[in-house]
Amino acid sequence: MNRSEQSELANPFGKLSFLVVDDFENFRLSMRQMLRSCGAEDIQLVAHATAAIQHCSYNHVDVVLCDYNLGEGKNGQHILEELRHKKLLKRSSLFLMVTAETSKEMVMGAREYQPDAYLTKPINRAVLEKRLGSLIRQRNTLLPINREIDRENYPKAITLCLEMLNKHPRYKTWLMKTLGELYLEVGDLAHAQKTYEDVLAQRELSWARLGRCRVLLANRQFDEAINDLKALIEKHPDYMEAYDLLAETLEKQGKTPQAQRILEKASEHSPNALLRQKHLAEVATSNQDVDTASEAWRQTVNLGTYSIHDAPDHYLSLAQSLSDLSEGDLDAEGTERANEALSVLSKMEKRFAEDESLPLRSKIIQSRVHAGQGHNREAEKLLKEVSTEMENQQNMSADMGLDYAKTLFRLGRDQDAKSLLGKLAAQFDNDSDVLQQIEGLLDEPVGFRQKLKAREFNRDGIRAFEEGNLDTAIKTFEKALEIVPDHASLNLNLIQVLLKKHQQEPSNRALLATCQKRLKRLEGLPEQHRQYRRYVALSQKLKGLTA
Amino acid sequence: MTDQNIDFSMVLASAVHDMKNSLGMLINSLDELRMDHKEALAHSNQFNMLQYEAERMHNDLVQLLGIYRLGQDNLVANVDEHFVPDFLSEQLARHVPLLDGLGIQYSIEADDINGFFDEHLLTGVLNNTINNAIRYTKSQLRLTARDEDGYLVIGVEDDGAGYPESMQHTGTLNFKSLDFKGGSTSLGLFFASSIAAMHNEGERIGSIKLHNGGELGGGVFEIWLP
Repeated sequence: MNRSEQSELANPFGKLSFLVVDDFENFRLSMRQMLRSCGAEDIQLVAHATAAIQHCSYNHVDVVLCDYNLGEGKNGQHILEELRHKKLLKRSSLFLMVTAETSKEMVMGAREYQPDAYLTKPINRAVLEKRLGSLIRQRNTLLPINREIDRENYPKAITLCLEMLNKHPRYKTWLMKTLGELYLEVGDLAHAQKTYEDVLAQRELSWARLGRCRVLLANRQFDEAINDLKALIEKHPDYMEAYDLLAETLEKQGKTPQAQRILEKASEHSPNALLRQKHLAEVATSNQDVDTASEAWRQTVNLGTYSIHDAPDHYLSLAQSLSDLSEGDLDAEGTERANEALSVLSKMEKRFAEDESLPLRSKIIQSRVHAGQGHNREAEKLLKEVSTEMENQQNMSADMGLDYAKTLFRLGRDQDAKSLLGKLAAQFDNDSDVLQQIEGLLDEPVGFRQKLKAREFNRDGIRAFEEGNLDTAIKTFEKALEIVPDHASLNLNLIQVLLKKHQQEPSNRALLATCQKRLKRLEGLPEQHRQYRRYVALSQKLKGLTA
Repeated sequence: MTDQNIDFSMVLASAVHDMKNSLGMLINSLDELRMDHKEALAHSNQFNMLQYEAERMHNDLVQLLGIYRLGQDNLVANVDEHFVPDFLSEQLARHVPLLDGLGIQYSIEADDINGFFDEHLLTGVLNNTINNAIRYTKSQLRLTARDEDGYLVIGVEDDGAGYPESMQHTGTLNFKSLDFKGGSTSLGLFFASSIAAMHNEGERIGSIKLHNGGELGGGVFEIWLP
């Protein structure tokens, strides 16, 4: 043992740099006094988040002691997320959250970045020395591993973990957790699974169960993962990571309505996680549940105020959902939503003033909002500005293009919208997500409420058809097509019923004529459209009958 | 204004929560005061009493919240693996200023073992038990940990007069057995026993044992965790 190791053993605090974040001067000073009496020398004190983040940007900090509740503005969790996200704090540095709580529930539900430890007030010198002392010893022992992880040298980190497992049984939990994560990171699912199962063989621990479910998900063993996660949530209703993973698994299975329910439940338990609210908003959007999506986007935007995860997309999505909801609704509620959409957009433009693409994105939505409220003059004026700016636009993003097309449809520029979508389809012909959205918009270029109405007719029509009420089915599909005349699958549904009816009444040529009229509407259907094969099959069948 | 639908237990719980945090601040100030005035306060009986009673109230309130959440079926054990000697010395650390002030000797005798438990819940139980032992001991306090029959056994021993006959027992307490008329309600033991029972592994369930004797010849509190 050399001398520096000896002095490190004698005074583990001496060599490290500390940062204390607390809004109460008394606490800062008493913390400094306690740290000093533990042997710490390099101690900085700050009162709030901005100063803390600034300090970490220019200085290396080994240990952050951060109060959770810092009054107005960012709290301790916001600071932790920002420091780790911007990599201002290395993995090898310690972040300790100081709270007045005996449980971790107030900070529970953060979707990422947990602190290395919670220190519960009251804290005296002896507690600080013991707790921090053992964390620092642990940090020093595990430093070689964390250093490799900071360097993203994962195979080396795995080797070191395995070596240390035998030497330091007291850090077994940390080592096994890290090992599982590292195996997942490098894609070695077999070893990840074995790591978690080794832990579970000894004791049912929730983190190991969750880890094993991650492996199951990666192996596409969805049913088993879902079962295990449901059982885990049953036992630990406040284990938020389990909800997140369950929702992810259900989504992979295409069960988005169930995924939405799980995320809703998770948000009830822990409403303050921005990324979870955002996930909920996205899932609800894909479920066409605009009300839930809108509320979740609103939460996402609100939670963004102090968060590193704040982004203009959240504001745009909130405004889009409010635009959908307010469209054609001239009651007080509709007006209120329209106004909220406009104010969200203006807030976004101010907050992200450096992003030059936003004013245009904003105008595209504003124009649609005004149109939805019958303010045609404002809507037209904005659209004119947009289309002038669009001419100079070189590469349009898919999001912007789709949004612009929506506005064009809403202001009656159907031809412009269709030609724009045609261009977009060519530009993004490899992106099935974008193509699907283009199809959706071409199928249903109408407002959200009308779209729902048409869908309801479609569902009723299918039910009538299944029950054998062909005439009702025909009438219902026709009603739906009055709203969305170019809808591919609806047109094909109607044709299918008409052909069925023709079987019963072979002499009724009028049925076939209607079929042909309907098919003509779909002439331009591109080959990659999901309804294309059905379209070809039905065309051929009809050809055979009319020949 | 008669039907306000006040959920009194929730009002209580949130008030208790507030008081608990307040007391936390108070205890912090006491710790600082003791550090700043070492000479004058080292053996001041009044000051020791102040600190002991503040700790006791704080523990009671933590316990009360725990029992409230138990009643709401809202308390879950988040079991993880911990290195027991480290855990015990961290628990004892909180009481060191008071122990020193009262001149009580303390020691930890723990095997180098890992145990499975919820550290927050166990912290509540041990704070309470240690605080209680401080009250009844003469001069010594001892924390122990061992592995027995596949259970982790954590013990708190003192050299006081020991537990009265009526309190010595083994196993799980239920709420109805509490005597609210007598001076001591054993609410703390009920809490400890409930926390112990929340720790289970297969068929085996945690429990507490109270008896007299041990190394120090006084009261012995043991919590058995599977």
